[in-house]
This record gives sequence, structure tokens and C-alpha cells, in this order.
Amino acid sequence: MLPVSLYLHIPFCKSRCSYCDFNTYAGLDHLTEDYIAALGREIELAGRGIEGEKPHAHTLYLGGGTPSLLTPQQVELLIAASRRHFDLPAGAEISIEANPGTVDLDKLRRLREMGVNRLSLGVQSAQAADLKLFGRIHSFEEAIDAFKLARRAGYENISIDLIYGAPGQTLPGWRDTLKRILDWQPEHISLYSLSIEEGTPLEAQIEQGTVDVPDPDLAADMYDQAREALSKAGLQQYELSNWARSGRECRHNRQYWLNESYLGFGAGAYGTFDGLRYWNVGPVGEYIERIRQTKESRFPPSPAAEGSETVNHKMAMTETMILGLRLTGEGVYKERFARRFGRTVDQVFGDVITRLVEQELLADDGQSVRLTERAYLISNRVFVHFVEDGSLTA
Amino acid sequence: MERTDIRNFCIIAHIDHGKSTLADRLLELTGTVSAREMTEQVLDAMDLERERGVTIKASAVRMNYTTQNGHGYEINLIDTPGHVDFSYEVSRALQACEGAVLVVDATQGIEAQTLANLFLALDADLEIIPVVNKIDLPAARPDEVAEEIEELLGIDAADVIQISAKTGVNVEAVLEAVVERVPPPKGDVTLPLRALVFDSHYDSYKGVIAYVRVVEGVLDMSEPLLMMATGAIAEPIEIGIFSPNMKPSGRLEAGEVGYVATGLKTVRDARVGDTITVRSRAAAEALPGYVAVKPMVFAGLYPTENEDYDLLRDALDKLQLNDASLVFEPETSQALNFGFRCGFLGLFHMDIIQERLEREYDLDIIATAPSVEYEIEMRNTGEVRVIDSPAQLPDEAEIEEIREPWMRIQIFTPTDYIGPIMDLVTKRRGEYVSTEYLDPRRVMLNYTIPLAELIVDFYDRLKSISRGYASLDYHFEGYRTGNLAKLDILINHQPVDALALIVHQDAAYHKGQALVSKLKEAIPRQQFEVPIQAAMGKKVISRANVKALRKDVLAKCYGGDITRKRKLLEKQKKGKKRMKMVGQVELPQEAFMTLLKLDEG
Repeated sequence: MLPVSLYLHIPFCKSRCSYCDFNTYAGLDHLTEDYIAALGREIELAGRGIEGEKPHAHTLYLGGGTPSLLTPQQVELLIAASRRHFDLPAGAEISIEANPGTVDLDKLRRLREMGVNRLSLGVQSAQAADLKLFGRIHSFEEAIDAFKLARRAGYENISIDLIYGAPGQTLPGWRDTLKRILDWQPEHISLYSLSIEEGTPLEAQIEQGTVDVPDPDLAADMYDQAREALSKAGLQQYELSNWARSGRECRHNRQYWLNESYLGFGAGAYGTFDGLRYWNVGPVGEYIERIRQTKESRFPPSPAAEGSETVNHKMAMTETMILGLRLTGEGVYKERFARRFGRTVDQVFGDVITRLVEQELLADDGQSVRLTERAYLISNRVFVHFVEDGSLTA
Repeated sequence: MERTDIRNFCIIAHIDHGKSTLADRLLELTGTVSAREMTEQVLDAMDLERERGVTIKASAVRMNYTTQNGHGYEINLIDTPGHVDFSYEVSRALQACEGAVLVVDATQGIEAQTLANLFLALDADLEIIPVVNKIDLPAARPDEVAEEIEELLGIDAADVIQISAKTGVNVEAVLEAVVERVPPPKGDVTLPLRALVFDSHYDSYKGVIAYVRVVEGVLDMSEPLLMMATGAIAEPIEIGIFSPNMKPSGRLEAGEVGYVATGLKTVRDARVGDTITVRSRAAAEALPGYVAVKPMVFAGLYPTENEDYDLLRDALDKLQLNDASLVFEPETSQALNFGFRCGFLGLFHMDIIQERLEREYDLDIIATAPSVEYEIEMRNTGEVRVIDSPAQLPDEAEIEEIREPWMRIQIFTPTDYIGPIMDLVTKRRGEYVSTEYLDPRRVMLNYTIPLAELIVDFYDRLKSISRGYASLDYHFEGYRTGNLAKLDILINHQPVDALALIVHQDAAYHKGQALVSKLKEAIPRQQFEVPIQAAMGKKVISRANVKALRKDVLAKCYGGDITRKRKLLEKQKKGKKRMKMVGQVELPQEAFMTLLKLDEG
């Protein structure tokens, strides 16, 4: 069995950002203790519920929400549970997402000591106006401090998240943000084009007309300029929104893009394991209750699952393509595809690929299929050819 | 029943003046339909008729009425379609009657179709019984409207019956007047049979059911029948009356109204206006007035999804069973693939057909902009070609002249709107004929105008600039030479046949511009820049670019996003399927409708 990845969702935030539609909550701090206990218990139930040997895991990711709000003891409990119930070797990648307003040197050090070896810092922008629009709880100066502290605490693999294409953002401002971030020489950068999600405060502001509608052409310019700047700084693009120094690509996220197994734990978390995709109940209280009531349970799905679907062969092939093509460097390896599905990419998607190669949206060198550079920003127009036109699920 | 005790009449009215409501009341009053069976618009069987409040197909019903002095009569009410597109059908239905009840709305007064129908009735030599309806409404001005009728028709205002069909007030007076004023039918029972077909429908068991008025002789089951215009021979399967449903009676005599089931397979064999006679003892001459109606408006109908082509053909076949005026033939468009070129009596007819295809047959349809029938005189040969689609227009150099159909139109309007209406008509190349005042506040404007200008959004514009008050009637006048040329639309440098137009030279520039800017809005951004051009011959007169799509990407895609992402893409793909590929360009359905919505001014 191939190693799996573990994702732990920490849904707590000090306050919610204006663009966020994740399963996150502000003001539920009083549930944190119970939640961590439940999360540890879910990991245990899953570990016991899986048939056969203790599965190998090669990455652990604490995402949110704001995992950096947790105390070192709480994080330790979760890592310990993961080590106890999964075979998580010493070299495994253990990431934590951190918000600049929530860390100090002591916390960072203690996390580092217990094995956290990758830090993903949500900086978002160097421009005060952007940070205000996003409703971030920190200033850029605080972000600088957090980065410096992380270095002092011994992190050699730090990732920075930035957002572009936001209302009011300008090209000069964006260039300035990039320049300042690159000066820090992070190992990894994720650039996210802002999407206006349903039900978010930002959407409401745009609807009311107090904030401009984002201009997609400007966002495209920002993306192009960023690609150039990052490449000059020695960061290689390996995914549509991700750049890294050689060897610092995020192993955990690559697991998703390779469409390999991952176990998600926590409120609202998703997992795909053994041909089944499940998603846990979202509300924190409900999640805790579901876990508390479970004595033992076959995994998958998680005992906290709200729903699940069987990932059939056809669906898995489609998803392997639309996820794998996001990996701009490696693309979809034909040999890996054939080994997994018993049919070649060309047998299954040959016509589509030929057409897209003609349109110069895909490149096919015989070994792998990749997006061409001009397809990066319009990748949905490529992916759409790989899906069915009805819903695959009932 | 003695022939002297028979009355045949129809009700004529402008749309919404209360024709169907009055018919409902008469049916109730005569006990033809019991209160339990009563619905609104009893005679309008189609959902579409009820929803739109307009009669599309003629029908007939026999009522028995006993007058206040105790004498019993057989009264046949023939219901006529309520739109000018069907004026030929109306004229035939009127031929089946001796009298007409003319209904005028007490709040609206005389309208364009009131007058048009009245003229038809007078042509048919009918006794007119004027009725002012809706006197229960607060805005009713029955006396004024009665005066208007007196002025216009020369009927004494005192003889105008004032009623409310809705509440039933004075409705019985209408029946009394029908008995009293409408003459009984004439016609010799001993002569060879002549029966006028005033409508028909198709029944899958009995074949074509012809609605007839027996003018002379006797229609019975004994011998094969001959349709004098089409030459079709029919064995009568059933003969009967409408009361209001079909009720076999075995025979119909001169003067009577009823039906004959012919077993014929298509209504084209028993057309409206045809004369039925007995084959072995045929009448010497058919009844006058038969015209094989010709479609005036043409458009391509295409299934949105190519694989629905056969379904569309079946649906058109079925509609044609009941509608002899609908014509269609296969047509291929490079833009829209396989569809049908369809001919309609007018825009309303086209609208009805389209809606029935969508509702009754559940089809998704793209209709190209409507066109008229042009006569093209060729330069060298002098040959005249008739075309009904811009795509069929020969090369400019080969054309000597293009002739287009012109219409006589009457517009009735309150005087307040004369200015804007005249503007509208003039912009549409209308030529002024005359103005007649109906009263100090209402006027009838007479114009001639090219049909091509009438069929694109004219009626809606007229209604909107007159706040719904103006009404319109039109009749074919003749063909005239026009300074016309083809306007091509090129998308990504490729002419798109389904978007071509035949336009007047003077309007070409403006129309080209308007069309290009509308298309620019309607066409979504593609992976490359898409130029849109309007051209006359080789000369580009307007252009715009749809900028290339630069961004369609999901920035984040991690563990939890994949299901959502896939569903999003599936939705996107479904939307894509509804697009039409023209070369490399995806065109949405709306792009083909932009021709209909070119703004004025």
C-alpha cells in the first residue's frame, strides 16, 4: 500500500477574513479543548478501524482555520495520536498553517521541537489597504516579525501565502508585495487569485457597490508578472498556484494533485481512502458529539462523516487528469496512470488530448501530458473536456 | 327543425374585447354547457389560447334557444381566430354565417381589428349586430363608444346593445337580436351538395375532421365526397354537429353547420375555403373565395442539440396535420447545422408554433431572425427567383433588382401618440397614406410599409411607445423594388449564414453597427480574440472585438475542493453543450436572437 497523507482541520479563528468560505468559526474558543480531544479520538478510531496493518503515512498537515491558535500541548497531543495510530516516520513532512498575529518565538520553537518541519505563513499582502479589505488581524510588520521568529526557531521550510486579483489592488502594489516577500527568501510561495465566494462579507460589499468587482484581466497581468519575478528569484513553479525551491515542493499537497489517498480529520474535513470519499459534519459541536458517541467503527468513512461517495473507476480517471494537470512541472505521468488504471491515458482520453494539443493548450512528450504555459490561467477550459456532462454522482 | 328557425352567426372583436367571455355566457344561457362543465373560454381548447386569451383555431357550436315569446331556434355560433395573421380563416368562417355580433370594449372603443373584421363581415354581406361590452367597468363609456360605432359604421347608436359579458347583464338581448335581425340561411336542398370548409382538425382515428357550412344540397354518408380545390376524395366516416362536443347526426342540410370526418390523412387535403361536393353528382362550380394561403414570414428553426433533429421534424409533422398554413422544408446552416426553413402566416403564427414546439413537444429551439419572401430579378437572364432567406441571395453582381413585399397598415391610436408612432413608421421606411379621426381623441393612421420592417419588433415597439393603446392591422399590398443589399456578419473572419440580413442600403450602416455591438455583448470571451464584423459585399462597415479570455481558473484545489471542482466543471460542460460551434467560436443561443432586438434610434 502506498503511504497516505493525514490532514487535521482546526476550524478556529480569532475573526473570519472577509473572503473566507471555509469551515471556520470565530468565537468558539471554549470548544477548543473538547475539539482537540475529539480530533485525537477520531485519529485513533480511524487507525483502529482500518483493516490490516497500521498504514504508512508520509505527511501530516494541520490546516484551518488557524492551527497556530492552538497551544503547543494541543498540537503535541494531535501529533502524538497520529504517530501512535499511523506509521509516521521521522522524515515525514509535518506542516502547520500559521497566522502572523498568533505566534511567538516560544510557541514556534516548541512546535519545531515536536517535529513540525514546515510552516505555512498566511501573509496575503504587503499592502495595508489589502490587509484591511481582507479583514486580516495582523499588519505586514507583524508578518515580517513572524517570519524572522520562524527562522530563529529553526524552520528551514517556510511557505508564504499571497492573494492577488483583489479589488483595489494595483500592479505596482503587487510588484512591491512580491519584491518584499522575495527579499525574505522563503522556500515556498503560494499565490491565490481571489475568488469571491457566496455568502462572504466581501461578496456582500461587492453587491452593495462599496467594493469594486475584481478585474480578471488585471489579475491575469498580476499572475504573469509574478511568474516572471518568482522565476528570477529562483523559485520554480510546480503547480498552478505554487512555487518552490528545488526539493521544497509541498509533499502533502502533491498527494492531492496525484489523486492519492488522504485521511481528513476534524469538522468539515474531506478524505479519500480505499475508493471512498467522505466528508465530515461541519459544525464543531456536532462533530464533537458524533465522535463522542462512537465506540468503534470501520474506516472509511470517518465516524463523523456527513456523507460519502464511491469513487468509481471513471471518476478516478477524470480526477487524476484534472488534478494531475495542475502539476505544471510533472503533469500526468502516463506510466503511473497506466499502472493505476490498467488502461493508458491515450486509450481513455486520446481524442481530447489530441484536440487540446492542437489548440496548444496541452503538451504531450510521450512520457507525460502537461498544460502549456498559455493554458495555466484558463485551465478550466482544458479540464472541462475531461469531465462528464451530467453529474457522475446521483 | 325548419330552416327558417336556424341562425348562423359569429362574434368578431378586437383581442381582449370580450369575445370568448360573451361566447361562454351564451353557452350557459342556452344550457349548451351546464354550469358544472363550465370553464373559462370553453371554445378555446388549447392551453395556449386560454393563457394568451386569444382564439387560434376556429370552432363551432350549436345552441338551442327559446325566445321570450316561446319560439325555439337552432343557433350556430362560429368562433373565429382573433389575430390578423389568420384573417383568411376569419373570412371563411364569416362566409359560413348570415350575421355577426360585433363586440367593442366600452373602455377602449373601436380598434384596428374591430374595423378590419367588420370590413370582412360587410364583404360577406352579414347582418351586423353591434354590442358594447364591459359596461360594468368604472372606466366604461358605453354611450360614447356607441356614438363612435354610429359614426364609423352608420348604425344607429340606439340599436347598439350595451352588455357586460362578465356579469351577464343584458346578454339575453344579444340572443334575441340574433334571432330577430340575422336572416335564416337560404340554399336549395335539392341542388348538388356544396359545403364550405371553414376549418378542420386532425383526428388520429377519423382522419381530417372538416368543419363545414352546408350551403346547398345535403351532406350525408351515402356517397364519396370530393374536395373541389384539392381534388381529394373522401369517404365520409361520420357526420355531425358540435354541441359543443362532436355529436353524430348522420346528415347536414343546406343552412346547417357541423362537421364531416373524412378519413383524409392531412389537413392540406381539406383546406380552409375548399368546397365539399358529392363525387358522383358534383356541383358545377366551387364556392367563391378559395385561396391557397401562402406564408408571409419565414425563419429557420433549429434544435439546440443536434440530436433532436428527428424530434423536431416529427413535431413539425404533427403540427402540420392540424395547420395547413405551416410549411417547412429541411435547411442546412453552416452555423446551426440541420434544421428547417419554416413559413408562417405572420409573426404571431410563428410565435405560436415556436411556443407549441417548446411546450407541447419539449424541444429547445433556436429560431433565426424572420425573413420575408423576396423576388430577385437576375441581371442577364431576366429570370425571377423567389428567396425567403438572406443566405439564398445570389451574388450582388448577378442581381438586376430585388423586390420586397409591402403591406397596407392601419394604426388606431389615441392622438397623444401620433408623433412617436409616425417617427417609428417613418424610420421603418413607412409611407404615409392618410389620417382619419374617429373622434377628437382617436385617430386611424394609414401607411404602407415593407413587411420586412414590420416583422422585426415593430408591434412591440408600437405597443411600448403608445403604452399599449395603439392597435395594428395589416394586409398585403404588393411587391416593390427596393434598394436592398445583404448584410453579412463575420465572426472570426467567417461569414455566419444564420446571422445574415437583407437590409435597405440607407439603414445598413446603422444596423451593422447595432448588430455588431449587440453581438459583442452576447458572445462570451473565448480563448482567443474574436473579431466581429458587419460587411456589405467585401466592404466591412462595422467591427468590434470580443477580447480573449485570460482567466478561467480555480486558484485553490486541495483535498476538500475536488468534488466541488468537478461539479463546477460538469456544469460548465453542460453550458458548453448548449453553445453552437461556428468554426472555433462558441456562440450562445442569444447571439442568434440579437437580430430581433436591434434598438431604435
